[in-house]
Amino acid sequence: MHEFSVTSQIVRSVLEESEKRKAKKVTGVHLVIGKLTFLGLDQVRFAYDVLTKGTIMEGSKLVIEEQEGVVKCGRCGYEGSFQYEDDPVYHVPMPTLKCPKCDSVVNIIAGKECVIKSIQMMV
Amino acid sequence: MTALKKEVVKAEGNEIYDVELSEDLLKANRRLAEENKQFLCRNGVRAIDVMGAIGSGKTSLIEKLVQLLKTKHRIAVFKGDLTTTIDAELIARHGVKTVAINTGKECHLDANLVKKALQKLDLNNIDLLFIENVGNLICPAEFPLGSDKRVVVVSVTEGPHMVVKHPFIFMETEVVAVNKRDLAEAMGVDVKQLEKDVKTINPKAIVVATNCRTGEGVEDVAKALGL
Repeated sequence: MHEFSVTSQIVRSVLEESEKRKAKKVTGVHLVIGKLTFLGLDQVRFAYDVLTKGTIMEGSKLVIEEQEGVVKCGRCGYEGSFQYEDDPVYHVPMPTLKCPKCDSVVNIIAGKECVIKSIQMMV
Repeated sequence: MTALKKEVVKAEGNEIYDVELSEDLLKANRRLAEENKQFLCRNGVRAIDVMGAIGSGKTSLIEKLVQLLKTKHRIAVFKGDLTTTIDAELIARHGVKTVAINTGKECHLDANLVKKALQKLDLNNIDLLFIENVGNLICPAEFPLGSDKRVVVVSVTEGPHMVVKHPFIFMETEVVAVNKRDLAEAMGVDVKQLEKDVKTINPKAIVVATNCRTGEGVEDVAKALGL
Protein backbone atom coordinates (compact mmCIF):
# COMPACT_ATOMS: atom_id res chain seq x y z
CA MET A 1 0.00 0.00 0.00
CA HIS A 2 1.09 3.60 -0.56
CA GLU A 3 3.82 2.62 -2.99
CA PHE A 4 3.25 5.70 -5.12
CA SER A 5 3.58 8.21 -2.28
CA VAL A 6 6.60 6.44 -0.78
CA THR A 7 8.29 6.23 -4.18
CA SER A 8 7.60 9.95 -4.71
CA GLN A 9 9.51 10.60 -1.52
CA ILE A 10 12.34 8.36 -2.66
CA VAL A 11 12.67 10.17 -5.99
CA ARG A 12 12.52 13.55 -4.27
CA SER A 13 15.24 12.57 -1.76
CA VAL A 14 17.51 11.18 -4.49
CA LEU A 15 17.09 14.29 -6.64
CA GLU A 16 17.92 16.48 -3.61
CA GLU A 17 21.12 14.53 -2.91
CA SER A 18 22.10 14.60 -6.57
CA GLU A 19 21.55 18.33 -6.80
CA LYS A 20 23.78 18.86 -3.75
CA ARG A 21 26.58 17.18 -5.64
CA LYS A 22 25.71 18.73 -8.99
CA ALA A 23 25.30 15.29 -10.54
CA LYS A 24 24.73 15.01 -14.27
CA LYS A 25 22.98 11.67 -14.06
CA VAL A 26 21.85 9.10 -11.50
CA THR A 27 22.79 5.61 -12.62
CA GLY A 28 21.54 3.58 -9.73
CA VAL A 29 19.59 3.59 -6.47
CA HIS A 30 19.83 0.89 -3.79
CA LEU A 31 16.83 0.57 -1.47
CA VAL A 32 16.28 -1.59 1.58
CA ILE A 33 12.58 -2.31 2.11
CA GLY A 34 11.34 -4.16 5.18
CA LYS A 35 8.97 -7.07 4.64
CA LEU A 36 6.63 -5.73 7.34
CA THR A 37 5.96 -2.51 5.45
CA PHE A 38 3.39 -3.99 3.04
CA LEU A 39 5.10 -2.18 0.18
CA GLY A 40 4.62 -4.18 -3.00
CA LEU A 41 7.96 -4.29 -4.79
CA ASP A 42 6.46 -4.55 -8.27
CA GLN A 43 4.37 -1.47 -7.60
CA VAL A 44 7.42 0.39 -6.28
CA ARG A 45 9.31 -0.46 -9.48
CA PHE A 46 6.39 0.65 -11.60
CA ALA A 47 6.00 3.92 -9.68
CA TYR A 48 9.78 4.47 -9.92
CA ASP A 49 9.72 4.16 -13.72
CA VAL A 50 6.82 6.59 -13.98
CA LEU A 51 8.17 9.15 -11.51
CA THR A 52 11.77 9.24 -12.83
CA LYS A 53 10.78 9.94 -16.43
CA GLY A 54 12.13 13.29 -17.59
CA THR A 55 14.52 13.57 -14.64
CA ILE A 56 18.22 12.76 -14.32
CA MET A 57 17.10 9.51 -12.71
CA GLU A 58 15.47 8.22 -15.89
CA GLY A 59 16.89 4.87 -16.87
CA SER A 60 18.69 4.34 -13.56
CA LYS A 61 18.96 0.85 -12.11
CA LEU A 62 16.76 0.28 -9.06
CA VAL A 63 18.04 -2.39 -6.70
CA ILE A 64 15.68 -3.41 -3.91
CA GLU A 65 17.02 -5.42 -1.02
CA GLU A 66 14.31 -6.99 1.15
CA GLN A 67 14.79 -6.86 4.91
CA GLU A 68 13.23 -9.70 6.87
CA GLY A 69 11.30 -9.03 10.05
CA VAL A 70 13.62 -9.39 13.05
CA VAL A 71 12.51 -9.67 16.66
CA LYS A 72 14.46 -9.35 19.90
CA CYS A 73 13.70 -10.75 23.33
CA GLY A 74 14.33 -8.43 26.27
CA ARG A 75 14.58 -11.38 28.63
CA CYS A 76 16.91 -13.91 27.00
CA GLY A 77 18.46 -11.76 24.25
CA TYR A 78 17.18 -13.90 21.34
CA GLU A 79 17.48 -12.01 18.09
CA GLY A 80 16.15 -13.50 14.89
CA SER A 81 13.06 -14.27 12.89
CA PHE A 82 9.50 -14.52 14.20
CA GLN A 83 8.27 -17.76 15.62
CA TYR A 84 5.45 -19.07 13.46
CA GLU A 85 2.66 -21.19 14.86
CA ASP A 86 0.58 -23.47 12.76
CA ASP A 87 -3.05 -22.85 13.60
CA PRO A 88 -4.84 -26.22 13.96
CA VAL A 89 -8.20 -24.75 12.94
CA TYR A 90 -7.29 -22.83 9.78
CA HIS A 91 -3.92 -24.47 9.00
CA VAL A 92 -2.35 -21.06 8.56
CA PRO A 93 1.18 -20.31 9.80
CA MET A 94 0.78 -17.30 12.09
CA PRO A 95 3.68 -15.04 13.05
CA THR A 96 3.74 -14.50 16.80
CA LEU A 97 5.43 -12.23 19.29
CA LYS A 98 6.37 -15.24 21.41
CA CYS A 99 10.09 -15.69 21.94
CA PRO A 100 11.12 -19.00 20.34
CA LYS A 101 13.64 -19.59 23.13
CA CYS A 102 12.07 -18.54 26.38
CA ASP A 103 8.34 -17.93 25.82
CA SER A 104 8.55 -14.28 26.83
CA VAL A 105 7.22 -11.58 24.48
CA VAL A 106 9.57 -10.08 21.87
CA ASN A 107 9.82 -6.67 20.21
CA ILE A 108 10.15 -6.07 16.49
CA ILE A 109 13.52 -4.46 15.74
CA ALA A 110 13.73 -4.67 11.94
CA GLY A 111 11.49 -5.12 8.95
CA LYS A 112 9.58 -1.86 9.10
CA GLU A 113 12.03 0.35 7.24
CA CYS A 114 12.21 1.89 3.78
CA VAL A 115 15.80 3.08 3.45
CA ILE A 116 17.73 4.64 0.61
CA LYS A 117 20.98 2.77 1.21
CA SER A 118 23.05 4.30 -1.60
CA ILE A 119 22.88 6.29 -4.81
CA GLN A 120 25.21 5.92 -7.78
CA MET A 121 25.59 9.14 -9.72
CA MET A 122 27.68 10.65 -12.49
CA VAL A 123 29.24 13.92 -11.46
CA MET B 1 63.22 25.37 -1.09
CA THR B 2 61.24 22.95 -3.02
CA ALA B 3 57.63 23.92 -3.32
CA LEU B 4 55.32 21.36 -1.85
CA LYS B 5 53.58 19.70 -4.63
CA LYS B 6 50.02 19.10 -3.68
CA GLU B 7 48.61 16.07 -5.24
CA VAL B 8 45.15 16.94 -6.23
CA VAL B 9 42.85 14.23 -7.35
CA LYS B 10 40.19 15.58 -9.57
CA ALA B 11 37.10 13.72 -10.54
CA GLU B 12 37.20 12.83 -14.18
CA GLY B 13 34.12 13.65 -16.11
CA ASN B 14 31.55 10.84 -16.02
CA GLU B 15 32.99 9.08 -13.00
CA ILE B 16 30.42 7.27 -10.93
CA TYR B 17 30.11 8.30 -7.32
CA ASP B 18 28.58 5.96 -4.81
CA VAL B 19 26.85 8.02 -2.14
CA GLU B 20 25.84 6.17 1.00
CA LEU B 21 22.82 7.34 2.93
CA SER B 22 20.75 5.77 5.63
CA GLU B 23 17.57 7.70 5.22
CA ASP B 24 14.51 5.82 6.45
CA LEU B 25 11.56 7.46 4.75
CA LEU B 26 9.03 5.94 7.11
CA LYS B 27 10.78 7.52 10.10
CA ALA B 28 9.14 10.89 9.44
CA ASN B 29 5.74 9.74 10.66
CA ARG B 30 7.23 7.91 13.65
CA ARG B 31 9.15 11.04 14.65
CA LEU B 32 6.00 13.17 14.44
CA ALA B 33 4.09 10.55 16.41
CA GLU B 34 6.69 10.74 19.17
CA GLU B 35 6.38 14.54 19.16
CA ASN B 36 2.60 14.24 19.49
CA LYS B 37 3.06 11.83 22.38
CA GLN B 38 5.42 14.17 24.24
CA PHE B 39 3.10 17.12 23.60
CA LEU B 40 0.07 15.25 24.96
CA CYS B 41 2.06 14.03 27.97
CA ARG B 42 3.28 17.54 28.82
CA ASN B 43 -0.36 18.67 28.79
CA GLY B 44 -1.59 15.80 30.95
CA VAL B 45 -3.67 14.18 28.19
CA ARG B 46 -3.87 10.43 27.51
CA ALA B 47 -4.72 9.49 23.95
CA ILE B 48 -6.25 6.20 22.85
CA ASP B 49 -5.98 5.16 19.17
CA VAL B 50 -9.10 3.17 18.20
CA MET B 51 -8.48 1.08 15.09
CA GLY B 52 -10.50 -1.68 13.49
CA ALA B 53 -12.26 -3.06 10.47
CA ILE B 54 -14.93 -1.12 8.63
CA GLY B 55 -18.25 -1.39 10.44
CA SER B 56 -16.78 -3.32 13.37
CA GLY B 57 -18.11 -0.93 15.99
CA LYS B 58 -15.33 1.62 16.62
CA THR B 59 -17.73 4.55 16.86
CA SER B 60 -20.16 2.58 19.02
CA LEU B 61 -17.33 1.61 21.36
CA ILE B 62 -16.22 5.22 21.69
CA GLU B 63 -19.81 6.36 22.28
CA LYS B 64 -20.19 3.83 25.10
CA LEU B 65 -16.77 4.67 26.58
CA VAL B 66 -17.69 8.35 26.54
CA GLN B 67 -21.00 7.66 28.32
CA LEU B 68 -19.20 5.52 30.89
CA LEU B 69 -16.30 7.87 31.57
CA LYS B 70 -17.52 11.42 31.06
CA THR B 71 -18.04 12.08 34.75
CA LYS B 72 -14.59 10.71 35.56
CA HIS B 73 -12.64 12.32 32.70
CA ARG B 74 -12.76 15.43 30.55
CA ILE B 75 -12.96 13.86 27.12
CA ALA B 76 -12.42 14.92 23.51
CA VAL B 77 -12.72 12.77 20.41
CA PHE B 78 -11.02 12.89 17.00
CA LYS B 79 -13.08 11.10 14.37
CA GLY B 80 -11.16 10.02 11.26
CA ASP B 81 -13.11 9.32 8.10
CA LEU B 82 -12.55 9.81 4.38
CA THR B 83 -15.45 12.18 4.26
CA THR B 84 -18.64 13.33 6.06
CA THR B 85 -19.10 14.29 9.68
CA ILE B 86 -21.89 11.75 10.34
CA ASP B 87 -20.05 9.81 13.03
CA ALA B 88 -18.50 12.92 14.55
CA GLU B 89 -22.00 14.35 15.04
CA LEU B 90 -23.15 11.11 16.70
CA ILE B 91 -20.37 11.37 19.26
CA ALA B 92 -20.78 15.12 19.77
CA ARG B 93 -24.36 14.49 20.94
CA HIS B 94 -22.89 13.09 24.16
CA GLY B 95 -21.58 16.53 24.97
CA VAL B 96 -17.90 16.01 24.29
CA LYS B 97 -15.67 18.16 22.09
CA THR B 98 -15.41 16.31 18.77
CA VAL B 99 -13.14 17.12 15.86
CA ALA B 100 -13.81 15.42 12.53
CA ILE B 101 -10.65 14.66 10.56
CA ASN B 102 -11.52 14.11 6.93
CA THR B 103 -8.58 12.42 5.26
CA GLY B 104 -9.89 12.96 1.75
CA LYS B 105 -8.36 9.94 0.07
CA GLU B 106 -6.00 8.51 2.67
CA CYS B 107 -7.02 5.18 4.14
CA HIS B 108 -5.56 5.84 7.59
CA LEU B 109 -4.84 8.70 9.94
CA ASP B 110 -1.25 9.81 10.30
CA ALA B 111 0.69 11.74 12.94
CA ASN B 112 0.62 14.92 10.86
CA LEU B 113 -3.20 14.99 10.66
CA VAL B 114 -3.40 14.36 14.40
CA LYS B 115 -0.92 17.17 15.05
CA LYS B 116 -3.12 19.56 13.02
CA ALA B 117 -6.24 18.43 14.88
CA LEU B 118 -4.53 18.94 18.26
CA GLN B 119 -4.36 22.65 17.42
CA LYS B 120 -8.17 22.73 17.53
CA LEU B 121 -8.25 21.58 21.16
CA ASP B 122 -7.84 23.53 24.36
CA LEU B 123 -5.75 20.96 26.18
CA ASN B 124 -6.36 22.70 29.52
CA ASN B 125 -9.90 21.37 29.36
CA ILE B 126 -9.27 17.72 28.62
CA ASP B 127 -7.38 14.77 30.06
CA LEU B 128 -8.56 11.95 27.76
CA LEU B 129 -8.59 11.88 23.96
CA PHE B 130 -10.08 9.10 21.83
CA ILE B 131 -8.79 9.02 18.26
CA GLU B 132 -10.97 6.95 15.96
CA ASN B 133 -8.92 5.79 13.00
CA VAL B 134 -10.29 5.06 9.53
CA GLY B 135 -11.78 1.56 9.19
CA ASN B 136 -8.83 -0.52 7.98
CA LEU B 137 -6.90 -3.47 9.43
CA ILE B 138 -3.76 -2.96 7.35
CA CYS B 139 -2.40 0.57 7.06
CA PRO B 140 -2.97 2.00 10.57
CA ALA B 141 -0.49 -0.56 11.90
CA GLU B 142 2.29 1.23 10.00
CA PHE B 143 1.34 4.75 11.09
CA PRO B 144 1.53 5.40 14.83
CA LEU B 145 -0.21 8.59 15.91
CA GLY B 146 1.42 9.28 19.27
CA SER B 147 -1.24 7.66 21.41
CA ASP B 148 -0.69 6.20 24.86
CA LYS B 149 -2.53 2.96 24.11
CA ARG B 150 -4.18 1.33 21.10
CA VAL B 151 -7.32 -0.78 20.81
CA VAL B 152 -8.34 -2.80 17.74
CA VAL B 153 -12.03 -3.54 17.22
CA VAL B 154 -13.07 -6.55 15.19
CA SER B 155 -16.55 -8.04 15.12
CA VAL B 156 -18.07 -11.47 14.57
CA THR B 157 -19.84 -10.23 11.45
CA GLU B 158 -16.47 -10.08 9.65
CA GLY B 159 -16.27 -13.85 9.93
CA PRO B 160 -13.74 -16.09 11.67
CA HIS B 161 -10.58 -15.20 9.70
CA MET B 162 -10.04 -11.48 10.29
CA VAL B 163 -7.41 -11.97 12.98
CA VAL B 164 -5.26 -14.59 11.22
CA LYS B 165 -5.41 -12.58 7.99
CA HIS B 166 -4.08 -9.40 9.61
CA PRO B 167 -1.52 -10.45 12.23
CA PHE B 168 0.56 -7.27 12.18
CA ILE B 169 -2.09 -4.89 13.41
CA PHE B 170 -2.71 -7.20 16.35
CA MET B 171 1.00 -7.07 17.17
CA GLU B 172 0.77 -3.28 17.43
CA THR B 173 -2.08 -3.08 19.93
CA GLU B 174 -2.55 -3.48 23.68
CA VAL B 175 -6.30 -4.24 23.72
CA VAL B 176 -8.66 -6.03 21.33
CA ALA B 177 -12.44 -5.79 21.44
CA VAL B 178 -14.33 -8.65 19.77
CA ASN B 179 -17.64 -6.93 19.17
CA LYS B 180 -21.22 -7.97 18.36
CA ARG B 181 -20.81 -11.04 20.55
CA ASP B 182 -24.60 -11.37 20.63
CA LEU B 183 -24.47 -12.29 16.93
CA ALA B 184 -21.75 -14.95 17.26
CA GLU B 185 -24.13 -17.89 17.08
CA ALA B 186 -25.98 -16.50 14.08
CA MET B 187 -22.64 -15.96 12.32
CA GLY B 188 -21.24 -19.34 13.29
CA VAL B 189 -18.19 -17.60 14.74
CA ASP B 190 -16.45 -18.83 17.88
CA VAL B 191 -15.50 -15.80 19.97
CA LYS B 192 -13.11 -17.91 22.07
CA GLN B 193 -11.26 -18.96 18.89
CA LEU B 194 -10.86 -15.31 17.86
CA GLU B 195 -9.49 -14.58 21.30
CA LYS B 196 -7.09 -17.50 20.99
CA ASP B 197 -5.94 -16.22 17.56
CA VAL B 198 -5.13 -12.81 19.03
CA LYS B 199 -3.24 -14.31 21.98
CA THR B 200 -1.22 -16.56 19.67
CA ILE B 201 -0.08 -13.57 17.65
CA ASN B 202 0.32 -11.21 20.62
CA PRO B 203 0.39 -12.89 24.04
CA LYS B 204 0.41 -9.48 25.77
CA ALA B 205 -2.85 -8.25 24.21
CA ILE B 206 -5.96 -8.13 26.43
CA VAL B 207 -9.03 -9.41 24.60
CA VAL B 208 -12.57 -8.43 25.62
CA ALA B 209 -15.81 -9.67 24.04
CA THR B 210 -18.27 -6.80 23.74
CA ASN B 211 -21.72 -5.79 22.63
CA CYS B 212 -21.32 -2.09 21.97
CA ARG B 213 -25.01 -1.60 21.37
CA THR B 214 -25.94 -2.61 24.89
CA GLY B 215 -22.61 -1.71 26.48
CA GLU B 216 -21.71 -5.23 27.66
CA GLY B 217 -17.96 -5.61 28.07
CA VAL B 218 -17.24 -1.90 27.67
CA GLU B 219 -16.28 -1.52 31.31
CA ASP B 220 -13.70 -4.27 30.83
CA VAL B 221 -12.31 -2.47 27.78
CA ALA B 222 -11.99 0.71 29.87
CA LYS B 223 -10.20 -1.24 32.61
CA ALA B 224 -7.88 -2.87 30.08
CA LEU B 225 -7.01 0.61 28.78
CA GLY B 226 -6.24 1.75 32.30
CA LEU B 227 -9.16 4.22 32.41
